[in-house]
Amino acid sequence: MTKYLTGGFFFLISLSLSAQRITGSVNEQAAGAALKPITGANVYWSGTSHATATDTAGRFSIPRVTQTNLLIVSFVGFQNDTIKIGQESDLQIVLRADQALKEVVVRGNANAIDRLSPHQTEIITTRALAKAACCNLSESFETNASVSVSYSDAVTGSKQIQMLGLSGTYIQTNVENIPGLRGLASTFGLNFIPGTWIQSIDVGKGAGSVVNGYESMTGQINIELQKPDTHDKLYLNTYVNSFGRGEVNLNLAHQLSEKWSTGLLTHASTLQNRIDKNKDGFLDLPLYTQFNGINRWKYQSQKMMAQFGVKALYEDRLGGQKDFRPEMKGTLQSYGFGSRVNRYEFFSKIARLFPDKPYKGLGFIMNASLHDSKSYFGINNYNGRQETLYGNLIYQSIIGSTNHSYKAGISYLYDHYDELYRHFSLKRKESVPGAFFEYTFNHLDKFVAVAGGRVDFHNLYGTQWTPRLHLKYSLTDQTTLRASAGKGFRVANPLAEYYGNLVSSRLVVFTEAIRPEISWNYGASLTQEYKLGEMNGTLVVDYYRTNFENQLVADLEDPRYIYFYNLNGKAFANSFQAEVNLTPIKRFDLKLAYRLFDVKQTLNGANDRNILEQKMMVSRDRVLFNAGYALPYDKWKFDGTLQWNGKKRLPYMGPVDEHMDHGLTMEMPSTMAPSFFNLNAQITRTFPKWDIYLGGENLANFRQKNPIMNAENPFQQGFDAGMAWGPVTGRMIYAGMRYKIVR
Amino acid sequence: MKKKLFFLIAAMIVTFSVAIADGDKVVKIKTTAVCEMCKARIERTLGLSKGVKESNLDLKDKVVTVKYNPGKTTEEAIRATIINTGYDADGQLANQKAHDKLPSCCKKTVAPH
Repeated sequence: MTKYLTGGFFFLISLSLSAQRITGSVNEQAAGAALKPITGANVYWSGTSHATATDTAGRFSIPRVTQTNLLIVSFVGFQNDTIKIGQESDLQIVLRADQALKEVVVRGNANAIDRLSPHQTEIITTRALAKAACCNLSESFETNASVSVSYSDAVTGSKQIQMLGLSGTYIQTNVENIPGLRGLASTFGLNFIPGTWIQSIDVGKGAGSVVNGYESMTGQINIELQKPDTHDKLYLNTYVNSFGRGEVNLNLAHQLSEKWSTGLLTHASTLQNRIDKNKDGFLDLPLYTQFNGINRWKYQSQKMMAQFGVKALYEDRLGGQKDFRPEMKGTLQSYGFGSRVNRYEFFSKIARLFPDKPYKGLGFIMNASLHDSKSYFGINNYNGRQETLYGNLIYQSIIGSTNHSYKAGISYLYDHYDELYRHFSLKRKESVPGAFFEYTFNHLDKFVAVAGGRVDFHNLYGTQWTPRLHLKYSLTDQTTLRASAGKGFRVANPLAEYYGNLVSSRLVVFTEAIRPEISWNYGASLTQEYKLGEMNGTLVVDYYRTNFENQLVADLEDPRYIYFYNLNGKAFANSFQAEVNLTPIKRFDLKLAYRLFDVKQTLNGANDRNILEQKMMVSRDRVLFNAGYALPYDKWKFDGTLQWNGKKRLPYMGPVDEHMDHGLTMEMPSTMAPSFFNLNAQITRTFPKWDIYLGGENLANFRQKNPIMNAENPFQQGFDAGMAWGPVTGRMIYAGMRYKIVR
Repeated sequence: MKKKLFFLIAAMIVTFSVAIADGDKVVKIKTTAVCEMCKARIERTLGLSKGVKESNLDLKDKVVTVKYNPGKTTEEAIRATIINTGYDADGQLANQKAHDKLPSCCKKTVAPH
């Protein structure tokens, strides 16, 4: 029996994941020495009931167990393969045809909590992504309790995510472990990753690993895209919704030779229908067109894994008053909003593998990007350009035995920002070389401690030291405790991050030079698996606190201004979440989650008095309920999500007395936005080669009545589109189809 | 709002009741399935076709047992589905084009493995 354990270790792919979970692919030797993935192969730990099965791409993921290190891979028609697992985390297994036939069990879970990772990580799989026929990343978190999505304003259509009570800019968002949505891309970045490109999303709460940099303050999200050597040769998705948005996604993958493969991911979408359902004279959604594509190449051999590719994106948005046409730009005839984004990116990853020393690896990530955006809000122009170069060299090995392992490396980040808002220019060049070391102690997978630190030499803000610590203790096979603590650091981009607030008559005032944001995050969680009779379930309870040493404050308390200044006092975010999952019968999943936020920030009051205020636009309470049922082979799939969002604080938007003090923010009475429900549902019918789906968002048809303040007089004081706290558009119905050709 | 929720729940209940409805018929069809891949392919294709509730192929005797709703499909239609997947059904020869598309390990010419 020939056994291949080819590349023990694509640690570039699984860097942010812990070594406590083993992932890999199971293949068969097809004609011409090419590898073909096996779907539904059984992967289990010898002598235990811990088992999993490979997906359509032949991939599997299984948590480590304490009882054994022998992993058995079986598939009927093939010889069983028994592999002794060391510290490796990603395997490529090739099975050999056999006479003996065995039973195969295929299981598929939509959402999973990574039980053995020292970081609290939720994995959103392709199956969960298909639950909401999501158009892009911003819609991918619909069935996830930890991440919530909100509109930032009523005109631009940009969306923001929230986690642990803080906005998405405090989450480090990586695409295949390359820092992706940061800097100027944070405005529309969530719309730049189409849902059909995504293979899986890992959502990590709390401080992240130091390997990926210093910017993770509340958590990290890592997105894995469809791979060039995937099982699907062609994947076509088309989508249309009741607002008139149309979308086409086409993914192609081709195995060029035994070692080379190439993949193309494309997306085109548009909305050209002028909708103004709330009759405020403004388009509810901007007209837009987006073209987006990635071409990547992959080389895979026993000793080497290399990937490189290019990304290109063009997006054009047009919003504002209903009668606005692009020719009227810069005039007072009609209020218009326009944005044009061009983004280009090159990325590469090279990993040296050591087939006989699977715990060892050397990897190098290199990425260069150019982001160029040109926008206008009425008569105000805002142009931004960002050039970024990023490199990360990582070495991983063990000290003595696999109980002690480490990752060490050096990184370099170069950012060149050039922004111009009206006549106000913001320019900045950051050059940051850094080094990191992360040590992992593992005692029989029962107790795991990860201690990491990094030091970065920032050309503008001096040396930054970032320590982080993660602990995991498994009390029993069903009960896991986790704790984490760590520092985060980032340089804010006020205009890109508060872009939606620029659609207003507010005057932008920087009262001082903005310093980098520094925060400390502490958290603990409990994961409990339980059985109610024959029903399986999990319970997850977690608490996190983020404390800011410095924070960018965007002060909107005076309706005439938006003040940017540094924190002068306390700012924190407390987050508590409890989530119960239950599978009452086969293929029927229920989830109920409750989340509580307590987020406060010190604002500069009049006469040098500082006020600790509840942060605006953050709901204190949120409840999520999700139910999904599928027939065998997913012939029919039903899914529904009901969310309740609690009250939010809104800044004062009433009339302003001109005789008032023109100092900094005045203490003005704030109002509360009401709570509201949101209901989404979807039905999918699967045929042998294709799927059709029909669904609806905001089925309760809840709308914020007047999302734009003083919409009648957009060129006068009091006009503000940045106060959207709820859905601007009403009920939306969509339909689409997916077509697949498998290899 | 409540109405919508009601419809959603109603839709799910309907699904359940359909799944356990009586009056289903069972048919056993002899196929030319060779391996586990064939089994998976035939079961999935049948499982996703109209009116079929359950399909289970036994590789020992190559007989697929299909539970179906006689109001929605017929034995002939089920056999046609198998034929169009590339396998013989009760002696009726497989669609040659579909058979040619099967992976080499699943073709009739292959010795049982």
